[in-house]
Amino acid sequence: MVHAAIRGETSFLNEVIEETPHGERLLHCIQCGSCGGSCPNGPDMDYSPRAIFGMIQAGERERVLSANTQWMCVSCYYCTTRCPQQIPITDILYTLKRMSVRAGLAKGTDAPALAKSFVHYVDNYGRAFELGLATRFYLLNKPLAMVKMGPLGLKMLAHGRMSFLPTRIKNLKQLQAIIQKARELGEKS
Amino acid sequence: MAERIGVYVCHCGSNIAGIIDVEEVARWAGGNLQDVVVAKDYKFMCSSSGQQMIEEDIKNHQLTRVVVAACSPQLHERTFRRACKNAGLNPYLFQMANIREHISWVTTDKKAATEKAKSLVAAAVRRVRLHRPLEPLPVEVNPRTLVVGGGIAGIQAALELADAGYPVILLEREPSIGGHMAQFDKTFPTLDCSACILTPRMSEAGQHPNITLLTYSELEEVSGSVGHFKVKIRKRARYVREDRCTGCGICVEKCPTKVRDDVFEAGLGVRKSIYIPFAQAVPRIPVLDTEHCIYFTRGKCQICGKFCPTDAIDYDQKDQILEYEVGNIILATGWKMFDCTRIPQYGYGRLPNVFTAMEFERMCNAAGPTGGKIVLRDGKTEPRRVAIIHCVGSRDVNYNEYCSGICCMAALKYGHLVLEKTNAEVYSFYIDMRTNQKGYEEFYQRLLEEGMKFIRGKVAEVTNADRSEEEKGRLVVQVEDTLTGRQRRIPVDMVILMGALEPQEDAMDLARKVGISCSSAGWFTERHPKLDPVATMTDGVFVAGCCQGPKDIPASVAQGAAAAARVAGLISRRTVWIEPVVASIDESKCSGCRICNNLCPFNAIEYDEQEGVSRVITALCKGCGTCIAACPAKAIAGNHFADDQILAELEGALWDASPEALLATFGKKEEQLELKVLNV
Repeated sequence: MVHAAIRGETSFLNEVIEETPHGERLLHCIQCGSCGGSCPNGPDMDYSPRAIFGMIQAGERERVLSANTQWMCVSCYYCTTRCPQQIPITDILYTLKRMSVRAGLAKGTDAPALAKSFVHYVDNYGRAFELGLATRFYLLNKPLAMVKMGPLGLKMLAHGRMSFLPTRIKNLKQLQAIIQKARELGEKS
Repeated sequence: MAERIGVYVCHCGSNIAGIIDVEEVARWAGGNLQDVVVAKDYKFMCSSSGQQMIEEDIKNHQLTRVVVAACSPQLHERTFRRACKNAGLNPYLFQMANIREHISWVTTDKKAATEKAKSLVAAAVRRVRLHRPLEPLPVEVNPRTLVVGGGIAGIQAALELADAGYPVILLEREPSIGGHMAQFDKTFPTLDCSACILTPRMSEAGQHPNITLLTYSELEEVSGSVGHFKVKIRKRARYVREDRCTGCGICVEKCPTKVRDDVFEAGLGVRKSIYIPFAQAVPRIPVLDTEHCIYFTRGKCQICGKFCPTDAIDYDQKDQILEYEVGNIILATGWKMFDCTRIPQYGYGRLPNVFTAMEFERMCNAAGPTGGKIVLRDGKTEPRRVAIIHCVGSRDVNYNEYCSGICCMAALKYGHLVLEKTNAEVYSFYIDMRTNQKGYEEFYQRLLEEGMKFIRGKVAEVTNADRSEEEKGRLVVQVEDTLTGRQRRIPVDMVILMGALEPQEDAMDLARKVGISCSSAGWFTERHPKLDPVATMTDGVFVAGCCQGPKDIPASVAQGAAAAARVAGLISRRTVWIEPVVASIDESKCSGCRICNNLCPFNAIEYDEQEGVSRVITALCKGCGTCIAACPAKAIAGNHFADDQILAELEGALWDASPEALLATFGKKEEQLELKVLNV
């Protein structure tokens, strides 16, 4: 259903709403700033979620999708639980991450590459594998920076916080089927 | 003899005619409906020329029944009944079809709308044919009025009526009248001393010969209807004899207990177990709180009784049930403050120097627990910086969606008081500044001039977890300053939470007792939001002040006076005419089973032991129809809602429900399926 406020437009706002469950709550934003005030990463964001919502309403696609705001989000959901208008803020930021990657505007951030490496292990083992994740991420993206991570990695190994070999979960097939279905649904929307 | 029916279809400007083809509906009614001799459409049926048209047609065409298809009968049924009456036709031989609220305002499908309009007109025509002439019933109006709630709205209403010479019962559940206004220090935007303007009204109400003041009392039960309500009031035991007490206060002085006063002092101060809530209380008669009294809890003490010079303490006093008959009821039960502990990130109840607005009111009051000094919870330290947080529990769908309306102005008032009484800085954290009454915006300007600081942003949290030297040992308000787009942390010493105004806990119960309705939030519903703001859907029950929705003092006083004026109007008429839409029992069919007796929600059916039959007390009956449906012998009939009338109406509404009729109207079968409105 297209909301009356955005009727007849194939606007940026409309796209964000369509791609987010309960995204239409975005129309209720009263610009109070309880999201930006609550965010533990707020001080490091180019724009607070509130400001991003204002820009979405104003149709500033490029500026929004190139912002670091969505990549700074750590999914703590503080903003979402405190929002007086029940806007699914964290979910909207996920939508912006996807749109940003698709538009090739996710620059100056490691997050998409890290996410890809992470998903590679979830796809193949059903869970994260820290040693592999770090190795894969750095080798593929910035091999030189890997040297700096060495001492930390050794410490983690010494304390048993990281294992040498990845472990597979039981019934990996079932998880893969779930992920496959989710991907199909995601592509449809 | 066949009836002669006139049908009038209103355009209501474009309200109806924009969606419904009104000319077609009128033409169709004239050509297809039995006994219809005149069928017309007209721009505004409710205009005087529209009414005149009906009157002339009744005379010229000898009409015996009239149907108007227009808006809700709530709005204009009376208008058209009057037109019928003017032309010599019994007003109950009229029926209204609501084609605006029920059709044109709720669909954009013009074709379906026109067809549904035909159905509703057909229903009204078939029904009106079976209408019987009725006469309204006269009811004497008892001149006494019950005012529930002794805050400023209730006091105003009571004084207006009492000054007009009518008797009033002013009911208050706390030990004194005065309400929230008695707790305040100053009132915005004029900064009048609240007590100075309120207490003269309180004592006037307390001493007025026409006002019976019942404090520490609550409404138990209401029966009857406009003109003659019967009310039961529980007068709770004070354990102090009002006829003997002189209000000297020796009992209070001698009482050895100390109890936190959560009501008048908002938890900030203490009182005794036997207490007068505040110095100017009306009546000045103490109340004994048995929950904390040493004698009542441990069986020994009675110091108050020993010292009372007039022997007024009565430890054996019991609650009394008082019964009165009143003609009208005014509800002015006020509001309660939002429980600020519900928003944990603001720290109320956990961080000592976070205060509620009511606590701050008491703190500012010279007669309050700190003697009017603005100090931290330790009772002595003056704050260096104060934060005032707006919209705590208001404008937030997680708590209350509505704007409480008065908090912006109260926050400005607090800002002024802090700047006046201390050397502290004051910050206001607001979402939108709402100062839209007389003199309010000017007050905002004044505070800008006085140096109050304003940060536009809803506060994220108040914390004592410091991150810098400056924050150490203080409260930190974390917020996005939305005007700069930056997150800020502002160290302060005191935080004031502007809690929302909420309906009283038991507002819904009271509404049920008197038979009115509430909004989903719990505010009492007025008869019409614009044109009838103090009446309710129940005749003889009026509302005033915050029980109808958050409002400031001037608006509460205006509503109190308005409700009183409405009541005075009813009293001066002496007789009100009520709808003859009541039930009646055919005694020859009644078996005396008494099923209806207990089902009647208005206690309007009495049982005649001697004859062994039930009878309806017409003056109490509201015509709800419960008894009619329940009677196993079908001995009860409802005026104006008789079985034959309702069945005829249904037949009319379903005139086109046969497959042939649908096909004739809409053509192809597939199209019928899309017309959900008609196929249900």
